[in-house]
Amino acid sequence: MSTATIGQAYNYKVVRQFIVATIVWGVVGMAMGVWIASQLVWPEMNLDLPWTTFGRLRPLHTSLVIFGFAGSAQFAASYYAVQRTCQVRLYSDTLAAFTFWGWQSVIVVMLITLPLGYTTTKEYAEIEFSGAVWMTVVWVAYAIVFFTTVVQRKTKHIYVGNWFFGAFIVVIAMLHVVNHLSIPVDWFKSYPVYSGATDAMVQWWYGHNAVGFFLTTGFLGMMYYFVPKQVGRPVYSYRLSIVHFWALITLYIWAGPHHLHYTALPDWAQSLGMAMSLILLAPSWGGMINGMMTLSGAWHKLRTDTILRFLVLSLAFYGMSTFEGPMMAIKTVNALSHYTDWTIGHVHAGALGWVAMITFGAVYHMIPKVFGREQMYSTPLINLHFWLATIGTVLYIASMWVNGITQGLMWRAINDDGTLTYSFVEALQASHPGFVVRFTGGVFFLSGMLLMAYNAWRTVRVSDVAMAEREAQIA
Amino acid sequence: MIEMVLNGLGVAGLWLAVEYCLKQQTAQSLEEASLMPFADDPEVARRVELATGKVVKAVAPQVAKPGWGNLDI
Repeated sequence: MSTATIGQAYNYKVVRQFIVATIVWGVVGMAMGVWIASQLVWPEMNLDLPWTTFGRLRPLHTSLVIFGFAGSAQFAASYYAVQRTCQVRLYSDTLAAFTFWGWQSVIVVMLITLPLGYTTTKEYAEIEFSGAVWMTVVWVAYAIVFFTTVVQRKTKHIYVGNWFFGAFIVVIAMLHVVNHLSIPVDWFKSYPVYSGATDAMVQWWYGHNAVGFFLTTGFLGMMYYFVPKQVGRPVYSYRLSIVHFWALITLYIWAGPHHLHYTALPDWAQSLGMAMSLILLAPSWGGMINGMMTLSGAWHKLRTDTILRFLVLSLAFYGMSTFEGPMMAIKTVNALSHYTDWTIGHVHAGALGWVAMITFGAVYHMIPKVFGREQMYSTPLINLHFWLATIGTVLYIASMWVNGITQGLMWRAINDDGTLTYSFVEALQASHPGFVVRFTGGVFFLSGMLLMAYNAWRTVRVSDVAMAEREAQIA
Repeated sequence: MIEMVLNGLGVAGLWLAVEYCLKQQTAQSLEEASLMPFADDPEVARRVELATGKVVKAVAPQVAKPGWGNLDI
């Protein structure tokens, strides 16, 4: 092993801040999810107040878990990994701190305005005009911090994980700005510059790529750093990782129209969305296999390494949901699945199984390092969290599959005279047991998240300054 | 016809991007790149070397300076 000395200490302060934010928004956002799941079981849980109805809390739930939980996790992981793989301190402590406080203020704006009913009505882009502009400012600062750090790197090569983080930052900026182009009438009310089918197309170009880039590409960057690091083996094929990168970012951007099958969107655009979604299976599985195969010769570590279990299970769910997605994009399958709970189940296979699981693994990996501890306070608690999260995810997606197929079949059933066999309410009644199971799955998952918060709190409470200093050095 | 041309351009663009990224890479340089996550962590690098037989170009820790590891959040 050749050695050399370089540089100054890493900026771990902003990483620590984003890790804490990840856990806080994770607890709040998932609790919000469990609450609205309970409203579908017991409608009186909406408290008969306008601010706590399903229609207002559902966008708050998605915004908190996507931008608060997953967003903060990606800030933390990208700031941590880019410093360590570029062997240089993060560019500008001030700007990095601005991205933290700026991003948290965006989430607080969502937390306040969405229950009050201020919304663009665009899914995953509900934040109204002034909030969206502020979000853009923070995101540009993030891009400056990240890319300047890459430019100032001490290493010759830009590690592939940073390519994924970089694509995530650039493409999200583009999607957010284009989808939010609107004419404001006041601070929190605006009208989109697009109309009709064009507006729908732009929205679902954004919506699908919010999944593709906010909930996939950044997390693949996370996967390419944390899986090899936790396993103690280099990524299975670095060449494949480069092919994976280019293929994924080339193909993902075209798949949006599959959200608009059988709508006013031109038929050719729907078919294009379907075809590109099917092709997307190749890079998705290429990346998944590359991650899984990194464990070659080290599978035995799963017996003892609880953090690795999260990372590997996340890849398994990634593989499963990236198979399910293209299948659901096929127009004939979509004719059954569209507008049903199957879609909700599919989203949560990715959100709970992939995004949250890999975040848990990465956060458990980072906390001891940035807070100066040898390991987390309790490994058995990590293990318990793993099983609660796994059981919760399985209960959630299985119940939604059953509900989705039930709803799809009941809605399509017609009598000999052409009338509907079932009313909508009958399909809703048939869905009730599934809603109960989904709520139970959510409680399991949230319980795991609370255990993580407790474990993190106990670890951070006894943080070791001397060890944190050693870890923060650019080794 | 235009769709076919655009499809062809898309595939060609993907191929060119991948080729451009890989054109100056050798098996050794790709191996070095794959070992980058361990390069700033000599202890882990040593374990990776033992497990894989590959040489990690790791860097040694510097002496700590005051204020480097502030734990405030």
